[in-house]
Amino acid sequence: MIRQTSLFLGYELRFLLRNPVWPLFGIMQPVLYLVFFAPLLGRTTASGSMPEVLAMFTPGSMMMIALFGSLFAGFGMINETRNGVLERLAVSPAWPPAIILGRVAKDMLVLVVQAVLVMGVAILMGLRIGLPEFLIMLLLMAVTGLFAASLSYGLALAIKDENGVSQLVQFFAMPLTLIAGLFLPVSLGPDWLQTLARFNPLYYGVEAGRSLFRGDLGDSTIPIAFALLIGLALITLVWSMRSLRRLAA
Amino acid sequence: MIIEAHGLRKTFHAKRGRGKTEEVEAVRGIDLAVEKGEIFAALGPNGAGKTTTVRMLATFIAPTAGTARVAGFDVVKEAARVRENIGYVSQAGGVDENNPGIDQLLLAGRIAGLSKKAALARADELLAAFSLTEIARRPARTLSGGQKRRFSIALGLVTAPPLVFLDEPTTGLDPQNRANLWDEVRALRDRGTSVLLTTHYLDEADALCDRLVIIDNGTVVAEGTPASLKKEVAGDVVTLRLKGVDEAAEALRAQSYVKEVRTEEGLLRAYLDDGEHGLPHLLRVLEERDLTLESISLDRATLDDVFLRHTGRSLRDAA
Repeated sequence: MIRQTSLFLGYELRFLLRNPVWPLFGIMQPVLYLVFFAPLLGRTTASGSMPEVLAMFTPGSMMMIALFGSLFAGFGMINETRNGVLERLAVSPAWPPAIILGRVAKDMLVLVVQAVLVMGVAILMGLRIGLPEFLIMLLLMAVTGLFAASLSYGLALAIKDENGVSQLVQFFAMPLTLIAGLFLPVSLGPDWLQTLARFNPLYYGVEAGRSLFRGDLGDSTIPIAFALLIGLALITLVWSMRSLRRLAA
Repeated sequence: MIIEAHGLRKTFHAKRGRGKTEEVEAVRGIDLAVEKGEIFAALGPNGAGKTTTVRMLATFIAPTAGTARVAGFDVVKEAARVRENIGYVSQAGGVDENNPGIDQLLLAGRIAGLSKKAALARADELLAAFSLTEIARRPARTLSGGQKRRFSIALGLVTAPPLVFLDEPTTGLDPQNRANLWDEVRALRDRGTSVLLTTHYLDEADALCDRLVIIDNGTVVAEGTPASLKKEVAGDVVTLRLKGVDEAAEALRAQSYVKEVRTEEGLLRAYLDDGEHGLPHLLRVLEERDLTLESISLDRATLDDVFLRHTGRSLRDAA
């Protein structure tokens, strides 16, 4: 099973290494936000210093890559429902879950590398973060990527239509972004917004990131974020594997 | 027997608007028996149920009813064993446009359990056999239709399976690529591989297969070798264009050397076992009745005449 998954992962990575430019475009958006938007946020934190602003803003900008990058991972697969690639793999001796797992593993890896680059830029701009927090943040990004990519493959296999999937992802991405407090913490907002945010898994991801960047490893949002994202990732993963099995219907 | 199917059925539930579903009977009870080492064709118009039948035999979809054994294994209960013994080349091809063919051949070999070395050796073998070595490292989207088709067949052969399914293998190919592909399919049989192919081309079924079934509307309407099926109809067909088709038909039906007469608007087909000798007699009969011909042609009977006889319409007209 691990062999099969790593075979599919290897195939995907070879493609990526031949075309390494595209994931770099994915981090342009958060980097631009860091450079041009973060400096405007001086008044939203207690001291208004750059390191403090970056500790508040960087986790949100990293979640942004997951939302606008990994959530579109399934796009390539829509075409594969039509060009016969999935059909061929489905009747090959391959272990079926590996077809999805290999791709999801690639997307996790891409997201983690993108996260390292974005954090690198933030550190260059003055962000201070300890090594354990840095590593836990990468783990959190990996779990987020697992969820977002599985959801995307599930949608792709269930809807099988580029227009439908892109509209749906856009439709969900915007409110999720706003209600998660991606740009500014929802704690600045009114009670109803804070209540609403608690129903958004992304909110916990962002808040867990902020706790990590503050060096507050004991904060409750960190275990909640991990539990929630892992749980959701498993559900969506199973869903996408089932959709793959029902491909022909 | 490499394929044995009994009473295969497939009913799809297609969504039609809100809450309404429509039942589509794609396959309505098909029996098949394919011998080891033969090229077997399923001939029929688009939408006849050929692809659905092949998909059931290749374990891609489960039959609604009926049973099938492929390479000795049940397609439902032993799907994994079936998959180890077949190559499946779908109509869409299954070639990943973004990646080079060699990568796809290697992946297909590795997931089937080959070692890195064995997968590479097998890929080289197939690339050479299909003259693809030169273009093995180019992304598949840069290849021509014929080259892509050869890659898709090579992908189906990676595990050297005893049975290969080819679903509409030559659709969209130019005549030269088509002829080359026929040679490659024949070469497969010569190496002992059994082939089940579907096609809506009469000449393809005629030229390529050892035996065939004609499928229409989800059922088998005829089965046999191309020669035996055509013989059932007659050796030759005389096609006449004239006024007074009905009168001519009546006169010709009375002749002992005419096996069968079929008419369409302004068109008459007379089936004769020996066209060369029958034609002069036939012309005399028409002359006696003062029926003037607009045109006449004498042809060998084709599988289209077989199709016409069994379904009442020409495969060329069948949608």
